[in-house]
Amino acid sequence: MTGGALSPPRRAWLSVARQELRDLWLGGRALGLLLAFSLLLSAMTYLTATNSLLNFLEQRESVNLTLQIGVAIGALLVLLTTADAISGERERGTLESLLLAPVQRVDLVGGKGLAALSVWVAAFAVAIPYVWFLARGVGIVGVALVGGFVVGSLLALFLAGLGLLISSLSGSNRISLSVSVFVLLALFAPTQLPAGARQGWAGDLFIRIDPFSSSLHYLGKVVVDGHGADQDASWLLSPVIAASASVLLALGASRFVTLRREAGS
Amino acid sequence: MEALDLAVPPGVVLGFLGPNGAGKTTAIRMLTTVLKPDAGTFTIAGIPDTKPLEIRQRVGVLPESAGYPERQSGEEFLRYHARLFGHTRESARETARSLLAETGLTERAAFAIGGYSRGMRQRLGIARALVNEPVVVFLDEPTLGLDPSGQRQMLGLIRQIAEARGATVVLSTHLLAEVEQVCGRVVILNRGRIVADGTVAEIARRAGAPRQGRLQVPPEATAQALEALRERGIQAAEDSRPGQLDLALRAEKADEDVRAALGALLDAHIPVLGLELEGGRLSDAFLAMTEHG
Repeated sequence: MTGGALSPPRRAWLSVARQELRDLWLGGRALGLLLAFSLLLSAMTYLTATNSLLNFLEQRESVNLTLQIGVAIGALLVLLTTADAISGERERGTLESLLLAPVQRVDLVGGKGLAALSVWVAAFAVAIPYVWFLARGVGIVGVALVGGFVVGSLLALFLAGLGLLISSLSGSNRISLSVSVFVLLALFAPTQLPAGARQGWAGDLFIRIDPFSSSLHYLGKVVVDGHGADQDASWLLSPVIAASASVLLALGASRFVTLRREAGS
Repeated sequence: MEALDLAVPPGVVLGFLGPNGAGKTTAIRMLTTVLKPDAGTFTIAGIPDTKPLEIRQRVGVLPESAGYPERQSGEEFLRYHARLFGHTRESARETARSLLAETGLTERAAFAIGGYSRGMRQRLGIARALVNEPVVVFLDEPTLGLDPSGQRQMLGLIRQIAEARGATVVLSTHLLAEVEQVCGRVVILNRGRIVADGTVAEIARRAGAPRQGRLQVPPEATAQALEALRERGIQAAEDSRPGQLDLALRAEKADEDVRAALGALLDAHIPVLGLELEGGRLSDAFLAMTEHG
């Protein structure tokens, strides 16, 4: 027998991430999401560029609108991907085989999260030509792209952690997806508050606390108002904290990645 | 689960039996560190349960009703799991191909698992359980849902794992006939505790499993045969078919009773046209040991 001749893999998370990337991209799931994303962006850009009502928007606002949609939907795709990561394996009956491998559960969760972030990177890559098309006339292509990538990456990290956390604790995919979408809508709701509600210290605090509102507000300041990247950096505090906390929580909750104990044989 | 103490030598197939709810799957999941026991400790291949990664490195498992990623190919699935067990990229590829050949799946290696039959999936699951060349292999209901040909193939594979690889195989199943075919040792679990441990013959004997014999004599000699048997103290009754006599045999002395019955008939010059023995099988012992808990 040679059992025991093998040693546990040192970077199991990398093997998990590689396989997840193959499953996501070659399996066609991420491509489908990306296709829907690019159709949405195309429609938005076309409307922004041609629709008479939207044409009244100042060019910088058009860029900001497209960028915000790209960032929000790109991050949402990460949430949809991670919400399925663990609960999906549990539901398909493939989790037990993974748990039988001599790898730490944190490696499984980390690898899956890393692969899910590729969806955000790809979504942002898809958004680049649209942003470039709209921003080239006002000379803010670089600012818009860098700002969008930083803000989107923070939100993607936050939602990746959140999705993994919910997925690890959920018994079924349906619960995981429902809870994830509900949380996302709750986070997105403050961005739709009327201007009046945003006034005063309470409104300001409310917007600053919500990572979504705070991020998109920062993006608006940089793209529309032409502020420097560090001038409004305090608005990034909430997304940075939210991203760090959710990733740490998701990795910590990896010990709850278990089979449900069933009565039976 | 109560205390389980099993020492099984390499190369032996251990039948792990028990009625539904006896705790077989739970025991396997605990022993393979997928579930944590509420209390107690265990060692597998000399490794304590405090080192779950090392235990998983040494055991192979085919879980009950295992799921498979439908879009991955068989080879990709095995390569991935080999990598998770520490194989290099090259050795993972070699291991995957060799296991696909061993389980008869080479021709389907590049096809998506979604198109595999139930039997092929089970064989793929066994191949996955072997990627780390385990010293102990747990197979939870490996023949569940397989047709007779698939069951035969699977039993052949199980024998091969024990004999050629020298691994200890723990086979959990409801099909007692297959246990009789392949298992060198049997453990019967009931309500979380071991109620029998030994070879098939030992367990059948220990359970006092009742046995029955059926003798065939010429129809016209039936009454004479019954008389001859009674004279020797052997309980016999006439069957509904002419010339058939049913014998009640003592579980622990069944062979002796059969010899006595044959002797009685020969001494009475009654020709014996046939003899069938029934009972004393693992299924009888299983029922006797598990029906009343």
